Amino acid sequence: MFAKTVIASLLIVSSIAFGKETRQESYERLEINPARAKFNYQMLCQGCHIPTGEGGRGVPNMLNQVGYFLNITQAREYLIRVPGSANSALNDERLAELLNWVILEFAQQSEPEQWPPFTQPEITAARAEPLFEVVQHRHKLVDQLNAAGFPVVQ
Amino acid sequence: MKLLDKLFEKSARRVAQNSSRRGMLKAVGAAMVGGAAIPLLPVARAADGASEAPVRPGEVGDPTSCDYWRYCAVDGFLCECCGGSVNTCPPGTEMSTITWIGTCRNPVDGRSYVISYNDCCGTTQCGTCLCQRDEGDRPLYRADKSNDVNWCLGSKSSIYHCSTAIVVGMAFEE
Repeated sequence: MFAKTVIASLLIVSSIAFGKETRQESYERLEINPARAKFNYQMLCQGCHIPTGEGGRGVPNMLNQVGYFLNITQAREYLIRVPGSANSALNDERLAELLNWVILEFAQQSEPEQWPPFTQPEITAARAEPLFEVVQHRHKLVDQLNAAGFPVVQ
Repeated sequence: MKLLDKLFEKSARRVAQNSSRRGMLKAVGAAMVGGAAIPLLPVARAADGASEAPVRPGEVGDPTSCDYWRYCAVDGFLCECCGGSVNTCPPGTEMSTITWIGTCRNPVDGRSYVISYNDCCGTTQCGTCLCQRDEGDRPLYRADKSNDVNWCLGSKSSIYHCSTAIVVGMAFEE
């Protein structure tokens, strides 16, 4: 009986220990300060993307969607070059933190199993390439993502 | 091998003699429930974001007065005077999802909170308790930080009625 108890407990403990990392562990791995990242989201994004990331009224939905953009280099860069990101009053380091936080917070099923985190040098490089026709560009990228099998909604 | 046989026989007999079948069910059940709860507790807390303080600021002041702390960045009619409240829209109006966001310092704890000034839309302007404090208001070319924008663009009707002031979080101070 004792042995069974031990085995049952071990199974439960190991399923937690070897399962997906906790949100706190993700913050540590990605060097995110969650209070700061959330504040920046609230001050600079939430007004239009709303607290759940769903957007609406012409504002794209990020919930269960934004992670698909990490699968194609151009689409990943779009997340940096989109006016709300590129023109925000954040330096490159803070924008990297915010984008990593957005993926953890809103990607859900769309989050790839592994993805390299956004870094300051990547942000600096992509921000230096202005994006003029944002709606057209997004349209093209979503077509590409759909063709590659990622169910992004236009 | 003999040693193992002996060991298992001995332990099996001991179990058989000292426990009932129902007793075992009870113990395994208790262990599973208890075992599941113990490791889950800290994990669940971590998932909730343990570093964050709960957003329940103490309140002082009169929400029908323009001096009320949450209105530091407001520009419009106060829903509190229009049949709604500082957090809710009056009946017959719709809250705009798209909104402008600022921070105000709460006199109770001296800390800054993030305030969402969701407009209530759909009927003509309320007309009482006009309040214009405009802290943190930016020119129209920074549309997301301007309170001169008609934020009813996020609702079905773009007719502005009044403004709420909802606490949505803590400000982060470096």
